[in-house]
Amino acid sequence: MKITDAAVFPYPCGDTSVRRLALEAKALGFDSLIAMDTPAGSFDGMEILSGIIVQDATMRDVIAKVKRAKDSGAVISVSARDNGFNRAVISLKGVHILRGIQAADKMAFDHVTAKMAADNNVAIDLDLSVLIGARGIARQRAIHRYRDMLTFERRFEFPVTLSSYARSYLDLRAVREITGLCSLIGMDISGVETAFDGVGRVTTPPMSAVRVIS
Amino acid sequence: MSPRPPTLRENRRYILVRVEPAGTVIDQKELYYTISDAVTSLWGDAAAGVIMQAVVAAEHGHVIIRCRRGTEKELAIALSTVTACRDVRLALRIVAASGTIESLRERIRAGKPVTEPASEIVTGSAGTGGAEPGECVFAEKPFLIAQCNGQKVDVIEKGFKNAHRLFLTRSDLEN
Repeated sequence: MKITDAAVFPYPCGDTSVRRLALEAKALGFDSLIAMDTPAGSFDGMEILSGIIVQDATMRDVIAKVKRAKDSGAVISVSARDNGFNRAVISLKGVHILRGIQAADKMAFDHVTAKMAADNNVAIDLDLSVLIGARGIARQRAIHRYRDMLTFERRFEFPVTLSSYARSYLDLRAVREITGLCSLIGMDISGVETAFDGVGRVTTPPMSAVRVIS
Repeated sequence: MSPRPPTLRENRRYILVRVEPAGTVIDQKELYYTISDAVTSLWGDAAAGVIMQAVVAAEHGHVIIRCRRGTEKELAIALSTVTACRDVRLALRIVAASGTIESLRERIRAGKPVTEPASEIVTGSAGTGGAEPGECVFAEKPFLIAQCNGQKVDVIEKGFKNAHRLFLTRSDLEN
């Protein structure tokens, strides 16, 4: 099992270089991280995966961007919008993660979308920066949405990923701290471990239905 | 007022926290208000009254925070939501929890990092672009080296305007 932070934004988006983020993440207990708009590689034993986020785009643009990025080996994420958009994105081949479910409208994620995410092996991302940085109603709403989403996760067992959205190494949190933060949304330790491995689950090609033994 | 006998005192625990970035000047009172705000925001006044957090010491880039025994977990979660103290960005990394302040002080003494002089990294790096000691070049811009610790190098953009702090590694400066 690999412990992965599913979204960090290194320099020039943030103030920390990707190598420094990798160093700090390793010290905090991570094995790999997805660095947005950064080439894949490894540093000091940390695996760095390349990530792409498609946001504020129409469905036509999403299809075009996913088609372009599909062969690059990057982890492709799309920002959630309304329910119809989310269903269309989840059924799109090549999309790995649906992000920003806490910022989308109230009915954006329902039981049908959850079932589709499980069938298509698309992960739903939990943005921890909201739990860490937000205060008051914004954090309360995020906790409510995540709790709601996790009831679907327990029922349909779609993959879940955890992202710090770190633009600086100061935004990274240790694995133990993330476990504590996830307890706020009703996630137990085994649930957090599964979520840390969510990226591995969506990037690993599916097992063939038929296996040739000899 | 006479002190309470030991059996009637509340049991307390002390949490050792490392303040990052290294070299951040910590005002104990300001940090107390920041932590108090984080605890109250997350758990509410009732729980904050039970936790009874207090900053008891701030030394060598570390802070010792007191809480009531049994509430360490709640305090630790609240500490992970601290992102700034008086508009200064920082992160609090929990190092250890103990029943005595003295054992945490020993821990600080044992884990004291060795900070190198800024001139050393400049002489050892290839990509300094002829920069003076204590300076370096990254992304074709001149920077002043603020902190070096092993692979980690913190730099500040040169000039009085837009003096951003960047967090890099030696490899970044060499490439």
